[in-house]
Amino acid sequence: MAAPLPFSESELRLLQVLLKRKVRFMVVGLSAATLQGAPVVTQDVDLWFENLGELKISRALQEVGAAYLPPSAINPPMFAGAGAELFDIVIRMDGLGTFADEFKNSIEIPLGRQKLKVLSLERILVSKIAANRAKDKLTIPVLRDALAATQSLKRRTKKK
Amino acid sequence: MKQRVPSINDTQARRWARRLSARVEKILVSHPDADRDNIRHTLILLEQPPLARLQRSLIRGRATAIFRK
Repeated sequence: MAAPLPFSESELRLLQVLLKRKVRFMVVGLSAATLQGAPVVTQDVDLWFENLGELKISRALQEVGAAYLPPSAINPPMFAGAGAELFDIVIRMDGLGTFADEFKNSIEIPLGRQKLKVLSLERILVSKIAANRAKDKLTIPVLRDALAATQSLKRRTKKK
Repeated sequence: MKQRVPSINDTQARRWARRLSARVEKILVSHPDADRDNIRHTLILLEQPPLARLQRSLIRGRATAIFRK
């Protein structure tokens, strides 16, 4: 039996439409960390877009019946509508390089026939250390240990 | 008293646990400050596909949020 998907049908469709339209984005934050094995919990999936003003994004959202809400005095930039609520939009990542630099070094997770770009665990740790909010301080040691475990496993696989 | 003959599953489970502990110990040698449980949980999660890991995390995260409300 195939592994259960963390996404509803409409959430999955939104991601697939964004990928089909070649929108440059990647999964960041704790959801990205958990995809790479970090034992942390999260309530949403953070997406970092290279250019939120791109027409491709609004077209993709329209296609799935969702919309982009630009930042205002009462809300951060966000998606609204069918299947879009799970995703949080990230407009800046502390301690990291430009989107293009980080995108180049991101890892890929298969999502059906497509590949989802995900910020590497190493870079997530760098961003959490730089952000240093109270909630980040709680996860930094867990991310550090998870990185040690994943790196050691990678070294072991390479040796074989 | 009759001793229970370990089934194949028991044997496999013990072997898996031994292998896991050995890996945890090996990592702790090079990272002595790391938390044993974090290492163990990461290694267990790495045995699952990435999307299954995210699903577990989201389920637990939402449950915690509901509990807090």
